[in-house]
Amino acid sequence: MDGTMIAILGFAALFVLLFIRMPVGTSMMLVGAVGIYMIRPQASLPVVAGEIFAEASNYPLTILPLFILMGNLAGVSGMSRDLYDAAHSWFGHLRGGLASATIVGCAGFSALSGSSLAAALTMGRVSLPEMQRFKYNDGLATGSIAAGGTLGILIPPSAGFVVYAILTEESIGRLFMAGVLPGLMLTGLFVLTIWLLVLRDPEKAPQAAAAEPFGERMASLGRASWIVGIIVLTIGGIYTGVFSAVEAAGVGAFLALLVTIIRGKLTWQNAKDVVASTLKSTGTVFLILFGAFVFKTFVGFTGVTFALTQWVEAQGFTAMQVVIAILLAFIVLGTFLEGFAILVLTIPLAQPILQSLGIDLIWFGVLMVIVLEMALISPPVGINVFVVKGIAPNVPLNTIFRGIWPFWFAMLAAVILVLTFPNIALFLPNTMFG
Amino acid sequence: MADTPVMLMLAERQLGRLAGLLAFVGGLAVFGLMSVTVVAVFARYVLNDPIFGIEDISMMTLTVVVAASVAYGAHHHAHVSVGVIKWFAGRRVTRITDLIARSLGLAIVSFATYGLFSKGSCGLPCGQITNNLSIVHTPFYYFLGVAMASYAALLLVHLLVGLAHWRGEDPNEAAD
Repeated sequence: MDGTMIAILGFAALFVLLFIRMPVGTSMMLVGAVGIYMIRPQASLPVVAGEIFAEASNYPLTILPLFILMGNLAGVSGMSRDLYDAAHSWFGHLRGGLASATIVGCAGFSALSGSSLAAALTMGRVSLPEMQRFKYNDGLATGSIAAGGTLGILIPPSAGFVVYAILTEESIGRLFMAGVLPGLMLTGLFVLTIWLLVLRDPEKAPQAAAAEPFGERMASLGRASWIVGIIVLTIGGIYTGVFSAVEAAGVGAFLALLVTIIRGKLTWQNAKDVVASTLKSTGTVFLILFGAFVFKTFVGFTGVTFALTQWVEAQGFTAMQVVIAILLAFIVLGTFLEGFAILVLTIPLAQPILQSLGIDLIWFGVLMVIVLEMALISPPVGINVFVVKGIAPNVPLNTIFRGIWPFWFAMLAAVILVLTFPNIALFLPNTMFG
Repeated sequence: MADTPVMLMLAERQLGRLAGLLAFVGGLAVFGLMSVTVVAVFARYVLNDPIFGIEDISMMTLTVVVAASVAYGAHHHAHVSVGVIKWFAGRRVTRITDLIARSLGLAIVSFATYGLFSKGSCGLPCGQITNNLSIVHTPFYYFLGVAMASYAALLLVHLLVGLAHWRGEDPNEAAD
């Protein structure tokens, strides 16, 4: 059996295993190990053990538990609440302002946490009762939380970018910087979407909070200055080249710990919750990475990427056509696969093709992460939707999905904008790194 | 619905304790990792005197964090799977697919455990040391091995619990 046939069988087996609910990480590890055994039997055991150890001791991946820790500390210290309160104070009196405040709060929290789920969960718990109190439409309220949460993997620090960087051997710092402007742009598009929705149907947000005096707004901004300060120091530190991404993660986590201590929130229970949550999120990502690297080695052994690259070149496709085709495939995959699964499954195949066509992998990384965000809220398996459902058990799932569609199209608009104007993603990394 | 056999409940409880112990070590390691990073930044930028080999310490600490988190994550259903089969099939089918998925999961995680102990045992003679401080990798391979073994044991327990609940609802359905 030739390599290409083994690769095709491997992918087919992988989809079967995923379908029967085998975890993504162990599925990829199994298919990778068996596939390698079929090609080079003596390599299978060393590759599995070696890749697990290599990823578990991969220095750039230090960033993941540290940023996850920082996000969790921001939650228990009340800093995330301060952020929402500040956004509420400034935008709450506007029509649809509470939903916009949720988006802005999520964007701010995303700058401390690399996890979309954490952003949706943390901000959702705070903002949903407020929106329900002011009789916001359930679809708009839950949709804005689910969509706002997705900003977590676009605005740095982003677990999605870290995994993508490790898989493609790109710079984490460059990718983080590339996510800043698209993240801000998408935040703006979400707010615009809310404004248009409420303009078209004012009943979606029938009441608004009373406008707060300017002094009160400034005070709320002052309370949020802790979190803003940490964000500026970590992201600004990376941008100015003062810190590496790993150092920024360590310093950010340390500052978040200091704030937690100063505020008297470092109770034994909170410490246990923070550690438990950090370990669970870290474990989720690393098991997938273990499998992804064994699988990637298997795909390399088959030589299928070379065959695929030659086929794409022979067809005479342009770089843009290939990028659009891959993104469309991701959107389809996003309807039934989890975002990280898509990333680790497809990158080993897509990367050689993209490189052979001279496509900037930083630019593609940003596009890919936005499409993965779409997967997070795409029916039927959009994981953020289930997080929101957990916060709002009385809101039917259909209502949440209906509320999400406008935001899904806002993301599609962001993809088109970044496709058309690559500098939205590349301006910051290019000015920083040249 | 059938009850879970006492032996399996006991085994799951003991594995939970092991995961808790690993999580305690992992928790200390997370804060240790943070401290090491902050100390490295302080030494580099404030004292202008980088600490030689501190990256090696970070890398080995990360190994402890990761091992603990994989084992702890397994006990708290953190390992992501795709749940589409429920739309196509009922319990009569999923009890069979779960059995297959757990058996295959047990096989590959056991294989990885064996691989980690086997490869890690070589240590210094195989050049398995860190670049700067020459920290031997062996204990870290073993720690990862213990974490994977804990995951494998949990999968075995869930497989047996699934068989015990063959005719009823599986308490661990979609948990592995």
